[in-house]
Amino acid sequence: MKDDSVKHPQAAAEFLKDRAQAKWHDSAIWWVRQKRDAQAKQLPEWEELRRLAREIKAHTLSQLDDYLAQFEANAQKNGVTVHWAADADEHNRIVHDILAARQVKKLVKSKSMLTEECGLNPYLEQRGIEVVDTDLGERIVQLRHEAPSHIVMPAIHLKKEQISELFHKELGTEAGNNDPTYLTHAARANLREHFLTADAGLTGVNFAIAETGGVVVCTNEGNADLGTSLPPIHIASMGLEKIIPKLEHLGVFTRLLARSAIGSPVTTYTSHFHQARPGGEMHIVIVDNGRSDILGNEDFYQSLRCIRCGACMNTCPVYRRSSGFSYSYIIPGPIGSTLGPSRDMKKHGSMAFACSTCGSCSNVCPVKINLHEQLVLHRKKAFDQNLLPTGKKMGLLAMRFLTQHPALFDLGGKVMRKVVPIIPESLTRHSAWSRAGRDLPPMPAQSFKEQYQQRSQNKKDKQDKKDKEEQQ
Amino acid sequence: MSTRDSILARIRQNRPQATALPDIHAVPFIRYDNPFEAFATLIRNLGGDAVQLAAGQSVADVVAARWPDAGRTVDLTVAGHEEVDDPHAWHDVDVAIVPGQLAVAENATVWVSHPDNHFRSIYFLTQKLVLVVPRDAMVDTMRDAYARIDMAEHGFGAFISGSSRTADIEQSLVMGAHGAMAALVIFV
Ligand code: SF4
Repeated sequence: MKDDSVKHPQAAAEFLKDRAQAKWHDSAIWWVRQKRDAQAKQLPEWEELRRLAREIKAHTLSQLDDYLAQFEANAQKNGVTVHWAADADEHNRIVHDILAARQVKKLVKSKSMLTEECGLNPYLEQRGIEVVDTDLGERIVQLRHEAPSHIVMPAIHLKKEQISELFHKELGTEAGNNDPTYLTHAARANLREHFLTADAGLTGVNFAIAETGGVVVCTNEGNADLGTSLPPIHIASMGLEKIIPKLEHLGVFTRLLARSAIGSPVTTYTSHFHQARPGGEMHIVIVDNGRSDILGNEDFYQSLRCIRCGACMNTCPVYRRSSGFSYSYIIPGPIGSTLGPSRDMKKHGSMAFACSTCGSCSNVCPVKINLHEQLVLHRKKAFDQNLLPTGKKMGLLAMRFLTQHPALFDLGGKVMRKVVPIIPESLTRHSAWSRAGRDLPPMPAQSFKEQYQQRSQNKKDKQDKKDKEEQQ
Repeated sequence: MSTRDSILARIRQNRPQATALPDIHAVPFIRYDNPFEAFATLIRNLGGDAVQLAAGQSVADVVAARWPDAGRTVDLTVAGHEEVDDPHAWHDVDVAIVPGQLAVAENATVWVSHPDNHFRSIYFLTQKLVLVVPRDAMVDTMRDAYARIDMAEHGFGAFISGSSRTADIEQSLVMGAHGAMAALVIFV
């Protein structure tokens, strides 16, 4: 489970202590971002797809109650049982009731950020049910008793040596064998046993189709499919924002999801579940847990368009350099930093500051959520609610004062440009800037304003000269 | 009020301003001059392979040539094939030959959906998956694919692209996560 007392700056500083691993983390995730770009370039209609996705989701949210009711009715027609959960606790209770009534001993789970959000695993384990996460990355973090550090690549914070050691201890693999293929196939053999002996399977939901009453789950590993085609019970847990109106709309979303998430044209399996396997039963739990409140918030409801592709994390310079564990909310990165504070500003307010406002997240988001703008709004809220540490608050107040008094701002800049270059290093070594292993940047000779004025002047001079020549 | 009704009531109250549903068919999507070529090139990167059946050749010939020492082989494309009552009974299948209804050029997926869902587990339990698709059942993009699919038909269907894979260990791509370790698409 996630520790929600995490404060981003401290946790990030901790992560950055291991410079080599932090560097690897940054470059490995950036590589995924580059793969995403390559995929986007292959489709001339990429930007149109993003626009369509955005508009389909916006429309759906504007009639969400109707579409949910339609979805429920159609699912029931297919023989699926639909449940509604107001919060995490009700979700967990519903899942446990289904399992307990059928004496389920073992549940195989495919990846679901929603069940992480609800804390389902510990809830069921406390009640004597064995829960096996089957996505390889999720399995790794489960065996380490950790939360996922990324929503698509849950174990991206780990090196293969650490996984090898873990598997040696837990699965009896060869000590010191760090080969990813060897390790993956060892996990495959182990998890196959679990699939074949489980009494029930639980999946998340990528898309729920109102028109047909079914759900779509996308995986590369096939774990959702084994977990639902073998055991007799399939439970699908979905956030209520997962709805799309019609089957045909999948022709937009399934084109965007994997390309944005992992830079692949599609996931290996895009599975459409409308009925239980023969002799089995299927349940869908529709979960609110704060979503309907966010829907009513004019500034932040757009975040409900999110299809959880993770592209915003992969591009975020702060996320890549601080890892998912630096964020207090279960979903890290730009989207988590807007969802978290929307849920609970006191607990997750520090996340909105883990942002350079570069806007890269909004530029890659396949459903065009205005992520960086939402983060700025959250900062303002945190400030207004007096939730900032004193130092940060004073800094911001000083900055506000300066920007409101341009003459003073100019003077401050002038002084800095003169003074900073002659400060002895021993005095700056422990400043917030230098502590992270950075040198102070060289100071420019002129301020931006001066440079700008000079350039405009030069341009004007040139033009004047030209005009004069033409006249002559 | 039930949880259901109170959630729906809250949503109704909080509904953002109404916006129109866009027409997804109004936008031109990519077309391929040679869809088979696009499909075959892509699937090679996804842990699979695609071939067109030559005259006089049978699916069984192609499979036998590729995997001469295959163990238990189940061929759902021929009449009178083996049947089971329990989905677990496919656990030791080495090669499964299954019908695919539709292929998509843009991402090398094949749509599978069987009238008898007792067979559902075989797609994922088998070590090697062979998908047999009619040559003319090829579309350019997922939009065209969904226009051809009848979801109400069988209660389950999946687009499958190449073999099962993962990159969860240090981003190294490994074929054979939980599902098939190899995939072969044969166009007939
Ligand atoms: S906010 Fe956008 S980019 Fe980020 S996970 Fe959601 S859909 Fe993907």
